[in-house]
Amino acid sequence: MKIRGSRSADKIEAQMAPMIDVVFQLLIFFMLTLKIIEPEGDFSVNMPLGQSPTDSQSISTVIKVKMTSNPANGWMESLKIGETELFANLALPAEVPDEIWTKVYGGLPIDPQPMRQQHLRAQRAFESLNNQVLGVIGAPGNPLADEQEVEIDADYELNAQYLINAIGACRGAMRPDTDGKLRMVDYIKKIKFSPPHAKRTP
Amino acid sequence: MRFKPSKAGPPEVDMTPMIDIVFQLIAFFMVITNFEQTQADERVKLAKDQLAIPPAVKRENELVIQIGFLRDENARNLDPQPFVFYAGEDLRIEAMEAKLRLEKQIYQDQEKNIKDVTLVIRADAEVPVGVVQELIRMAQDTNIGFEKFAIKAIQKQDQK
Repeated sequence: MKIRGSRSADKIEAQMAPMIDVVFQLLIFFMLTLKIIEPEGDFSVNMPLGQSPTDSQSISTVIKVKMTSNPANGWMESLKIGETELFANLALPAEVPDEIWTKVYGGLPIDPQPMRQQHLRAQRAFESLNNQVLGVIGAPGNPLADEQEVEIDADYELNAQYLINAIGACRGAMRPDTDGKLRMVDYIKKIKFSPPHAKRTP
Repeated sequence: MRFKPSKAGPPEVDMTPMIDIVFQLIAFFMVITNFEQTQADERVKLAKDQLAIPPAVKRENELVIQIGFLRDENARNLDPQPFVFYAGEDLRIEAMEAKLRLEKQIYQDQEKNIKDVTLVIRADAEVPVGVVQELIRMAQDTNIGFEKFAIKAIQKQDQK
């Protein structure tokens, strides 16, 4: 009797089919559950309980930023740092074409022109607020700036977007690092709200 | 009778179950980390600012409160007044005082100090500032006693 050698069946082939099944299952699962979440950050804020009596020393270290709004739609109408107006005196920007609005600003083509112009105008105002704050603290990271405080006084109806932009403009700026990467430099860390205003009827 | 000696090569390992398990683990951890981030309500369209940098270290104790509008499919507000989206309910800001008291009670039961808990506000970009301030004032009330507050925003900049 002759038994054939099983040399030809020596090599066991890896079963690929179950692996591919599982990989596809996972792929489909993640494709269905994927929700693109944009990175979210936050700003620490403070709102003193009672209005403390202001003495001369505290005035010198508190920068006042005041914003007023249109009560009907909450759009910013004026932005002041101390007594300097930064928004109302800006000229109305030219109309923003759809392509620039969607590509550069990430807006929607249906957004009306006045909204686009308001956005641009507000953006310029917050840029100058950022420069003014830098002027007050001298240089970013100045140890004296640790004592500085910003008090934000906003109308009841003002949209929260402007509040966030104002906090951002006082908080710091993005500057390119030595390797060209944008890094945040601190301006003023202490940000507080003034007591809330009463609601107005438009 | 003569048998040929069977050549015993190195034993082959079946990789399939191991790969199955590895993928299972990857899926498990990916799902877990996703759940950690989903303290977000899709109805709240946050304000955007380039300085809103995600924190490197997550806060230990935080309570997230969402304020936004109910909108139709064309993004028009169904109601001019904002709502607080809290635990599946749509509440007016005035109703939050009772809820914040409840939260305080829960933290007390867990033996946590309310002063160490940060109240994180996720406010829609169009929410009036006054509503945000009202919420902070409520939370600061002597009967509740939050002391740390933060406002969320999306880190985004115009590609200029």
